[in-house]
Amino acid sequence: MTAVVDRLRALPSWQVTLTGALFVLGFLIAAQLSAEGPRIRYTTQERAPLIETALGLQDQQDALQARILQLREEIVDLEGDEPGSEALVRQLNAALEHARIAGGLVQMTGPGIVFRLEDAENPGTERDALVTARDIRTLVQELWLAGAEAVSINGERVTTGTAVLDIGNAILANSAYLAPPYEVSVIGPDDLYERMTGTVSFVEFVQSRIQPYGLRLSFAELEAVTVPAYAGTIRSHYARPDPSASPVP
Amino acid sequence: MPVLRPRQRWSITLVAAILGVLVVAQLRSQAANPGLSNLSAQELTLVITNVSTRNEGLRAEVAALERRVASLTDAHDRGESTLGELRADLAALEAWAGLTPVIGQGISIRVSGQIGGEGIEDLLNELRNAGAEAIAVEDVRIVPGTVVYGEPGGLSVENTPLADGFEIRAIGSPQILTGTLTRGGGVIAQLEATSEAVTISVTPLDAVSIPASQRNLVPAHGTPSL
Repeated sequence: MTAVVDRLRALPSWQVTLTGALFVLGFLIAAQLSAEGPRIRYTTQERAPLIETALGLQDQQDALQARILQLREEIVDLEGDEPGSEALVRQLNAALEHARIAGGLVQMTGPGIVFRLEDAENPGTERDALVTARDIRTLVQELWLAGAEAVSINGERVTTGTAVLDIGNAILANSAYLAPPYEVSVIGPDDLYERMTGTVSFVEFVQSRIQPYGLRLSFAELEAVTVPAYAGTIRSHYARPDPSASPVP
Repeated sequence: MPVLRPRQRWSITLVAAILGVLVVAQLRSQAANPGLSNLSAQELTLVITNVSTRNEGLRAEVAALERRVASLTDAHDRGESTLGELRADLAALEAWAGLTPVIGQGISIRVSGQIGGEGIEDLLNELRNAGAEAIAVEDVRIVPGTVVYGEPGGLSVENTPLADGFEIRAIGSPQILTGTLTRGGGVIAQLEATSEAVTISVTPLDAVSIPASQRNLVPAHGTPSL
């Protein structure tokens, strides 16, 4: 043992440095390969400008969403200062606040769960080992059935018009591009998890999709989960209030 | 301090350079959107189309909201009431959220045969993707929290059983809704292919009526937060 230590001490310092660097190099090469391995990698030259365009559009989208939320806040403030009859204004503003919350236009915080749904650790070329839009939809549906009250997927609020679609190995939700891993944040009753995991349909989902293909589903029950506001368009081009319905006060 | 030979220096320099490149590559690949680099050119084009369309909608929303802010500010400065606009905003918002009934152009979908809740949810998802502004299954408005569930022959929505041969109504562009659902390889083709006993027909309509939701859409366990 002492001989080995003496021999190691006798090594020139540059050799020790080089050995250390080569270890790190090997580790990084392995990390790089494993990061690229699970998903198909395309290397055509046309992709670079497309990726750049997509990233630019996503930046624009983030800025537009932030602007929408800011303008909505300004409108709420201005409507609160309406100079008309105080009682009527208060009533209208309360109804507007109620409608905004009901529509998902207001960020909410409350007790709930954050789920994380990820592809299998080593999916190889097995498509079933990747999380699909349908998996996300199934999880969200199970949550609704268990009593969830507000849900978001990677920060995109699920509203009355939210579609979740596959795009390559990722998804589109509210037409926003979302890449895995997926975090589904949900606000609901304290026993939401027990209610959901106690249903036959959730057990079937786990047994038919999560377990056989190695998808990774984890969760954390939290006292305060934040579900962001929907920052998209709410203009209707075809639907209009039914005039035969009871009028707004 | 021993002096390194040129060859030793070169070895260390080379390893350090490769190390640097790999560290940067690793960090950049983690920092950039991890999914985009895994998409094909065709998929990237689809992402660009979708995000562009959404951005157009968001720009229109920003423009409408800016007009609204300007109008409210102007009215405030002149001490005028905007109660009429407030009422119009409220009516539009309640209609969009599902709190009040709506009417408009759209489609009627007749579904019969052995289809499960998952298949119906696929159909509803495709309707939303095609721009449906309001959807109802029979007399139940589809809003967040409303799920059509159950095995074939035992479907329910909001604890209301659905008979074999039920109707889904949606408001939106009749052409786009019909075209999206009935295209070759589309959702209806897929559903009918997976079960021969399923029949789904789509009828464009000039006037579709969708009821208000009966659900309480305000979360009881959450509070508004900034």
